[in-house]
Amino acid sequence: MRLPKLITVALAALLVAMPLGAVAEDLQMWERSGGNASMVDELVRAWNEANPDRKIVLTYIPHSEMVPKIAQAIASGEVPDLMGMDLIYGPQFEDAGQLEDVTDYFKDDPTLKTASPGHIQVATYKDRLYGVPLYADVSVLFWNKLLFKQAGLDPEVGPASLQDIHDMAAKITALGDGNYGYYLAGNCAGCNIFTFGPLIWASGGTIEPKDAADEPLTGDNLVKVLEWARMMHKEGLINPANQAENGETFHLQFGSGKVGIMGTGNFNLFLLKEQNAALFDGNVGITFLPGLEKGKVASFAGGDIVTIPKGSKHVKDAVDFMKFILSDNVQVESYAKLMNLTTRADMAKNKYFEADPRVQKMAEALDVARTPYTLKFFELINSPQGPWLQMLQRVYYSDDPIDQIIADGKAQMKAIAAE
Amino acid sequence: MYNNARGRFLGLLYVAPALLFVLLFTAYPFGQMIWVSFNSWSLITPPKFVGTANYTKAFADKQFWTSLQFTLKYTVLITPILMIGGYALALLVAANTPLRRFARAVIFIPVVIGLGASSLLWYWLFSTDYGLINKLLFDLGLLHKPVFWLGVNADISNWAIIVSVIWKVIGFGMLLFVAAIQGIPSEVTEAALVDGASPWQRMTRITLPLTLRTVLLVTLVSVIGSLLAFDQFYIMTAGQPQNLTATSVFYVYLNSFPYLKLGYGAALSLILAGIILLFTLLQLVLSRRSHA
Repeated sequence: MRLPKLITVALAALLVAMPLGAVAEDLQMWERSGGNASMVDELVRAWNEANPDRKIVLTYIPHSEMVPKIAQAIASGEVPDLMGMDLIYGPQFEDAGQLEDVTDYFKDDPTLKTASPGHIQVATYKDRLYGVPLYADVSVLFWNKLLFKQAGLDPEVGPASLQDIHDMAAKITALGDGNYGYYLAGNCAGCNIFTFGPLIWASGGTIEPKDAADEPLTGDNLVKVLEWARMMHKEGLINPANQAENGETFHLQFGSGKVGIMGTGNFNLFLLKEQNAALFDGNVGITFLPGLEKGKVASFAGGDIVTIPKGSKHVKDAVDFMKFILSDNVQVESYAKLMNLTTRADMAKNKYFEADPRVQKMAEALDVARTPYTLKFFELINSPQGPWLQMLQRVYYSDDPIDQIIADGKAQMKAIAAE
Repeated sequence: MYNNARGRFLGLLYVAPALLFVLLFTAYPFGQMIWVSFNSWSLITPPKFVGTANYTKAFADKQFWTSLQFTLKYTVLITPILMIGGYALALLVAANTPLRRFARAVIFIPVVIGLGASSLLWYWLFSTDYGLINKLLFDLGLLHKPVFWLGVNADISNWAIIVSVIWKVIGFGMLLFVAAIQGIPSEVTEAALVDGASPWQRMTRITLPLTLRTVLLVTLVSVIGSLLAFDQFYIMTAGQPQNLTATSVFYVYLNSFPYLKLGYGAALSLILAGIILLFTLLQLVLSRRSHA
């Protein structure tokens, strides 16, 4: 029997229009694009190899479009099964009730106990768990041992306080030839919360308000840290060209070999391998970001959490993926083997990291790291229009009184938190 | 033919596809936007009716007016350059000789590149550390210390972006002007030549008056395009320094998507649309007067 022509055409059109995902029972996963794509690719590859009957199809979303894209997906009801998201946005989506509560799935899971505390903190809302770490970035302090030697400094001893950074940076800047002692990005809010924020935390200060009732920018030493940053600029210990840095070339700065000391992330070490082999091969020192006093350190725990949006069709499989990436074998054979930080502290001691103590040091930074917990992180901190960058730019490049700058920053942050 | 009911129905049937398109893709979204502007809506939570609160907030929002002021400044600076430059280029390349046709094509090529791509290109050209512009000026001995073209000084940033946009869009105006100049009847120009009119007289008494409609059209397009400027500022300065180069549309985008304040963004958009409508009406009135 021949089908009428119209029906045949309609059926053919339907088959063409039908998404492949609807035919196969694959899980759809979204992740933001960025420097950790190779890590996430590896996790998905390992999962797909172990689970051929429930593969994950991974789609990358441009980093800057991540939040709007997820919000649009939620509004339209077309959500993926798994969602990797910048961990700082976790509380916003948890508060909105858009993520699956996975607390009960993990109640007897021992791996969670050693998972990165910063990630778990932002994945938790009102004592319920909504995600687990996907990957971790931590900020640490790099120093260039080649420049330290040239400046007559001990290349094996890094700075342990803000005063140390100042004194060492002064000697390195004195070398001339385009060398500068320290690095601060002048036009990048994210770079500053990642590398300058910990200097405030390590000195006992706070930055963002948790909610409308919370006081932002507190701590007796906050003024001193900001004065230190202004002094570093006024004394010319920071390259004036850094004022234009909006984050695009941040990752290339230390590898230029012209920066003595710089707050950066674990990702920078392996970029260095390609960019400046002479520095990578034994001439990079790594320590924690210090505060005003010696012995006080801090770090920013960044990276992504993986969550399950409400409306996912494969919640159980998605939870299995979460457990899979926290398992011992994946922590060592996927994360550590690729020289990415393990997302569980107890897995940091492994055969791959032991071969390079610098990676070990960075992995330890997770223990002293913090992640801001706020429902309005982008507006308060990450936005180029936000009060955080505005405040720092006035500190770095103006002569406005520091007290006034802090007061203005507080007022702006409070107004945003109160909305 | 359309006086009877059947004729009117037939007429309606003919315009129905276009009408449907406009209703579906213009009127309905516009109505939705008006509705959204009276709500507080983050996309991830249900909308909440807030009346005119978003409008009240917009009128008190200092940054919105700073952005609007900057957008107007950008428009006032770039429009005459695009008009005069485009017209001058058109006068130079209007004749159909092989070399001039080639010149027209070269000037027009950037128009077909996306604004995002061209902004990225210029972003790297203006880069303080890696950009070819600073390198060139250094090599020529015109600079002794690097210039921070983007994101440090609002005026320098604005001019740097204006240069990039002129490179990108001047060919569009030029092409329209060339078409208008070529549309002038040759008898008119020949008569002026016979009467001994100088090139300046021919330009001011014949070419310019006979191409005035195109001049007004290009002005309108340029003004609207500049008031809606977004890509180039988003990519090249992200509003820096201190939000002094944040255009109105950039501010609308920021509120609507990264901040997830869709209702407030919609209110800002509607205020901006009203302002652009005023400019457009003003130009249309001027256009009609000059034509009369």
